[in-house]
Amino acid sequence: MIIVEGVTKVYSKNSVALRDISLHINAGEFVSIIGQSGSGKTTFTKLLIAEETPTKGKIKIGDWDITNIKTDEIPYLRRQIGMIFQDYKLLPQKTVYENVAFALEVAGEKSKRIAQIVPQLLEIVGLSDRHNRYPQQLSGGEQQRVAIARSLAHRPKIIVADEPTGNLDTINAEEIIQILKKINEFGTTVLLLTHNREVVNALHRRVITLHGGNIVLDQEAGKYIL
Amino acid sequence: MTSLKRILKFAFQDIGRNFGLSFMTVLILILMVLSVNALWGVEAITKEAVATVKDQVNVSVYFSANANDDNVNELKKYVSSFPEVVNVDLLSADSVLDSFKQRHKLSKDILDALAELDTNPFGPTMIIKTKEPSDYQKIIQALNVPEYQTLIEAKSFDEHETALDKIQNITNNAEKMVAGLVLLFGCISFLIVFNTIRAAIHTQKVEIGIKRLVGASNWFIRGPYIVESLIFSVLSMAISIGIIYLALHFIDPYLSVIFSDGFSLTKYYNSHILYLFGSQFVCVLVLTVVSSILAMRRQLKV
Ligand SMILES: Nc1ncnc2c1ncn2[C@@H]1O[C@H](COP(=O)(O)OP(=O)(O)OP(=O)(O)O)[C@@H](O)[C@H]1O
Ligand SMILES: [Mg+2]
Repeated sequence: MIIVEGVTKVYSKNSVALRDISLHINAGEFVSIIGQSGSGKTTFTKLLIAEETPTKGKIKIGDWDITNIKTDEIPYLRRQIGMIFQDYKLLPQKTVYENVAFALEVAGEKSKRIAQIVPQLLEIVGLSDRHNRYPQQLSGGEQQRVAIARSLAHRPKIIVADEPTGNLDTINAEEIIQILKKINEFGTTVLLLTHNREVVNALHRRVITLHGGNIVLDQEAGKYIL
Repeated sequence: MTSLKRILKFAFQDIGRNFGLSFMTVLILILMVLSVNALWGVEAITKEAVATVKDQVNVSVYFSANANDDNVNELKKYVSSFPEVVNVDLLSADSVLDSFKQRHKLSKDILDALAELDTNPFGPTMIIKTKEPSDYQKIIQALNVPEYQTLIEAKSFDEHETALDKIQNITNNAEKMVAGLVLLFGCISFLIVFNTIRAAIHTQKVEIGIKRLVGASNWFIRGPYIVESLIFSVLSMAISIGIIYLALHFIDPYLSVIFSDGFSLTKYYNSHILYLFGSQFVCVLVLTVVSSILAMRRQLKV
């Protein structure tokens, strides 16, 4: 489903984020990509949603050839992928509710449906009582949960979660991982990018280890080794 | 349809949540429109003033008492044939006498002296108006031929010309000064408007980036900002028009004192309403929409 072939990302002469990465991820898999800070995890997610273009190599998601995607097709690609950004990327002028609804509104979802789905999503991430607040009125962990709710809104075929537990305590982190697991059970492909040792070790799923922009390990039911 | 509704909703939300910035933008647009209209108003008034003075200038040709109707009509025809001549009025000998009597009705001596005469001492009078005051010299020249000398007793070119020159001079200078001021003010307000919009879009930069990343199409992002520009333009134009008419309401009484022919700026505005406000609306719209599109173009590339 996701095919990455010989992808290299060079930001500048002295900043090479990914070196000749190749990997296949099948539909319905739950894959963790781990690595130290600066190993290229976020860069990899940026390539998947065509925020950045690879310097070399090819990426395919389903039928999309991301490397040659047309500019006006990019929004459609992004609506297929539920992206949880490491820095949340919430709209500062919109409330929690509106932020989640926005992902549905851009996709042309009916207002009636939106009014049904959004409260459910906020319920799932435990933010029902915060739906009228603006992002700057929330704690880091709460903002992160809004970002998660938004990424789930349009029932994407692929979830890409970049450090989704980075600002959460153990209990909340565990809850989020449970949600991701549940979504995966319903058939959604999940890509979890993290440096959280406990989370990865508890999963017992495929683990890809990045180091300095290289894939150094790719194990079924792996463990956090570095 | 839903998209359009959502774009409108987002536009109004944005205006409300950035109320300070929205308010400033509209305020500055209003100031710009008002300053342009100040120029237009002053120009209309000076034009009218010059026209009024020009209108009062004429040449009077006083015929001698022995000039008969044929002579007079021939001369009238001759003068009318000049392209510079706008109007030729004839006063008959009798009406000249009447108006003379009227003018001197308080001085008994003059009236008595007049009564002594058995015939009307006055000949007819011809009043000539030309397009431009400078044309009068030519008409006077043309009448300075020997064959008319016996018919014409006197020619008067009221010495309005120097006065007219002065007025023209003053109004020209006033117009230049106002134009300069408005140009300056216009430039300043243009820069402020452009920068206000750019600043607004700078704060929207983060927002635009996020909207792109969660799959919004360009039109979905651009739409609300363009609708906002539209709303700002309509709002500032409407408020400006209100203020302008209110101002005219106070200015017109003064103008009616100066201009006897019923000139009023309100009337002037009413008769040019489409041109005046149409062109200004287009300018404001172009300024707001184009600057917001230009400013957004770069951010929409990601
Ligand atoms: N826009 C950029 N321009 C230049 N270099 C960049 C840019 N973005 C990232 N890099 C570099 O690319 C490398 C990989 O960065 P990336 O953000 O992918 O790391 P990461 O694995 O997500 O780290 P973290 O765990 O801290 O989030 C880093 O060395 C970083 O300095
Ligand atoms: Mg990262």
